[in-house]
Amino acid sequence: MADLSGPFDAGLAPTGPGPFSRLARVQYAALIAMRARIFANNFRTSSGAFEFGARAISYFIYSLMGLGLGVGAGSVAFSLVSHDHLQPLFIEFWVICILWQAISIALASLQEHFDLGSLLRFPVNFGSFYLLHLIFGLVDASTLAGGLSCLGLLTGITLARPDLFGPTVLALLEFAAFNILLVRAILAWLDRWLAKRRSREIISAVFLLATVSVQLLNPVLREDRPFAHHHHVGGPKTGELRPWVNAIRTTQAWLPPGLASAVVWEADQHESTAIAASLGILGIFVLGAGGLLGIRLRAEYRGENLGEAPSRSKNEKREAAWLISGSGPISAEIEKELRTLFRSMPQLYAVFVPMVMVVIIGSLFRTGATAIAHPFRLAIPICVAYGLLGFTQLIYNNLGAEGKGIQLVFLFPVPVRTVILAKNLFHGALYIFIALVSGVLASLRIGRPDPDVIAATVGWLIFALPANLAAGNVISLTMAYRVNLGRIGRQSGSQANALLSMLIQTTILGIGVGVISLCSIFDRLWLAAPILLAFAVVAVIAWLTVLRNVDAMANARRDTLIAKLVKTE
Amino acid sequence: MDPAAIETHGLARRFGDLIAVENVTLTVTQGQFFGFLGPNGAGKSTTIKMLTGLLEPSAGTIEILGQPFSSTALHLKRQIGVVPEGMALLGRLTATEYLRFVGRMYGLDRATVERRTEELLEFMQLANERRKMVTDFSHGMQKKLALAAAVIHGPKVLFLDEPFEGVDAIAAGMLKSMLQGMIQRGTTIFLTTHVLEIVERLCSHVAIIHQGRLVANGSIETLRAGVASTLPGAESGQRLTLEEIFLSIVGAGGGEPVQELSWLT
Ligand SMILES: Nc1ncnc2c1ncn2[C@@H]1O[C@H](COP(=O)(O)OP(=O)(O)OP(=O)(O)O)[C@@H](O)[C@H]1O
Ligand SMILES: [Mg+2]
Repeated sequence: MADLSGPFDAGLAPTGPGPFSRLARVQYAALIAMRARIFANNFRTSSGAFEFGARAISYFIYSLMGLGLGVGAGSVAFSLVSHDHLQPLFIEFWVICILWQAISIALASLQEHFDLGSLLRFPVNFGSFYLLHLIFGLVDASTLAGGLSCLGLLTGITLARPDLFGPTVLALLEFAAFNILLVRAILAWLDRWLAKRRSREIISAVFLLATVSVQLLNPVLREDRPFAHHHHVGGPKTGELRPWVNAIRTTQAWLPPGLASAVVWEADQHESTAIAASLGILGIFVLGAGGLLGIRLRAEYRGENLGEAPSRSKNEKREAAWLISGSGPISAEIEKELRTLFRSMPQLYAVFVPMVMVVIIGSLFRTGATAIAHPFRLAIPICVAYGLLGFTQLIYNNLGAEGKGIQLVFLFPVPVRTVILAKNLFHGALYIFIALVSGVLASLRIGRPDPDVIAATVGWLIFALPANLAAGNVISLTMAYRVNLGRIGRQSGSQANALLSMLIQTTILGIGVGVISLCSIFDRLWLAAPILLAFAVVAVIAWLTVLRNVDAMANARRDTLIAKLVKTE
Repeated sequence: MDPAAIETHGLARRFGDLIAVENVTLTVTQGQFFGFLGPNGAGKSTTIKMLTGLLEPSAGTIEILGQPFSSTALHLKRQIGVVPEGMALLGRLTATEYLRFVGRMYGLDRATVERRTEELLEFMQLANERRKMVTDFSHGMQKKLALAAAVIHGPKVLFLDEPFEGVDAIAAGMLKSMLQGMIQRGTTIFLTTHVLEIVERLCSHVAIIHQGRLVANGSIETLRAGVASTLPGAESGQRLTLEEIFLSIVGAGGGEPVQELSWLT
């Protein structure tokens, strides 16, 4: 071994333990400088500058949404606390907690995440590694929304009862720390589990179970609403579930949202030991979430690889068959897409998580239905539209998963149009499938919709599919970005693409909402479907026009497309 | 007379202010094993990308098998096979699935695709790895797979950008004999590599590109004679190796490093 005390060592900072040793601080400075350089270099190209603009706008939008949530949470808390209804506050904590996790899980594959794996070749200690993992990407949509909601809660509670401020701040700080750590821990473990086929299957089962338990949990929340109208929209009757309800209610009190809200309530009762106990238990949860994350990061720090080792018997059978037997390039391309999708975690995730979210949103509609006497009529179309949200990433970046394989598109003796058409057909089929499943899931949660609502929804879908495909093809060719197929939360992403595609999606949604609400204002909801079908005709023409021009567009953008997707940075 | 396999006139490519390739005019006749050499950053990969439709030339014309080539010339794309720089693999497919996909996209029928996939996997000694996803392949395995994909449709003109990089000695030997076999059956091969010994052994013709410009073009014998005549006191009896020819043309002097990195222990 080299003698490190010799002249060779000259100019090296001494290594030391802990995330704040001198070496660690030198490293942070280097990382900050590196990020700053990358940031500055982005402005060398116009697309980089554009990307920066898009990022600024997206964060502005996230903040606005977070502010909305914060104001909402604050006003509800204010009215509850000023009417001395402290008990039901726990529902608000639960909603914030679920939203916080849900937003980050739903947007995981959209958010940028710096891959720290590349740091491992340097002498970085584990403490620094952990700290950096927490800090990089901290300012994302979920932290903004969750943090601002907590701030709103604090403001609302304090305005109503200034004397509760101290304990509330402590509780909210711990609550926020818990959420931030839990989000990271969940994503890190998901990556780990989804990398293996066996655990992928287990996860799907757990998701299913969770779906069912939301079904069961719903009556509990309804039970506790302070000004509940007792109507039964289907589902099991509360009475039959009494033991369950009590069990769940006592359990939730021992979980972080329950504990955090308990602190506020206990502060009102001046029970300082209880406050300390609640804060203490909450602290244990924070440590627990941090520990869960730590286990994962420790493995990563040791250089684990999340490859999918071949499982012998199974693969052999699956591989032997051609999934789609046609001999043309379209069937070949569709078969490739199918196989790739089911091995590409971020994409699979993006497509299927919204469906799970549909169940949660459906439940929100049901509990939120207090304001209106009966469940919101258009809840189902909204759920279906939401369920399709994950498609943004597939349809609006349909070349992103090709990676280096993008070169094949230009090498094959096949027009680019054929390749894109095959992708469109595949995505279209999947789109219809997901729309159906979301619709069915939502109806299970909310109740069967009226036929004219179904007709309007179907009309909108028939319009939205070609419209999305048309816009998606254009954006895929002009704003492609490389998808990291191995990890969910490690995307280089493109805020420009995300922003633009969200804008177009919103417009498409807006047209649907506009037509449907206009028709329902005039009590002619049956008219919505034919009107939307007329829009669909326009959308189909647009799609065909785009398809006709795909080759010209692709060839004109060939250089940048290949450069973007081939380069690994 | 057969048309040339590859013919370019005044081929050029700029990246912003940088001229990566400038005024490259060359002819590769059918059945030729053509070595395209040059130091790092000389413009070899850029040229291959233009010749295969992956990159738009800034200027100049390309003819493949006597017909004007552009990215929309699909009938010509059917005749060429490519191992591009960085390979064009799809990480989430297995080796079998990848070769099948490529074969189908070239329009081969099912039986042919199946048969050739099997034969290529056997030949490249990848048969035992067929269930692995390509992303889990080693670098050399990926190179072999990329080569298999480049020839599955029996191309008339084959472009290889550093196909031997990272390939083990056994496989390299077999690849060499495979390429020679293809040449004997009339295929044209356009090869770039930094392993000059391979070029010397395989290629009949060589072009050297340096800073985007062609600085030499001809049979190895012609180049050798040309260089020998310029060397001051060179004995004509002494046979120059391709490496010596290359260094003398590209002008690296071949001396000691400019500066020593004294702190490297
Ligand atoms: N997409 C690009 N954008 C800007 N410059 C590029 C791009 N691609 C290549 N270049 C530049 O063009 C020049 C030639 O690059 P090229 O890849 O053709 O070199 P090469 O001869 O293949 O080198 P090597 O032997 O290292 O593979 C280099 O200076 C390179 O920096
Ligand atoms: Mg190169």
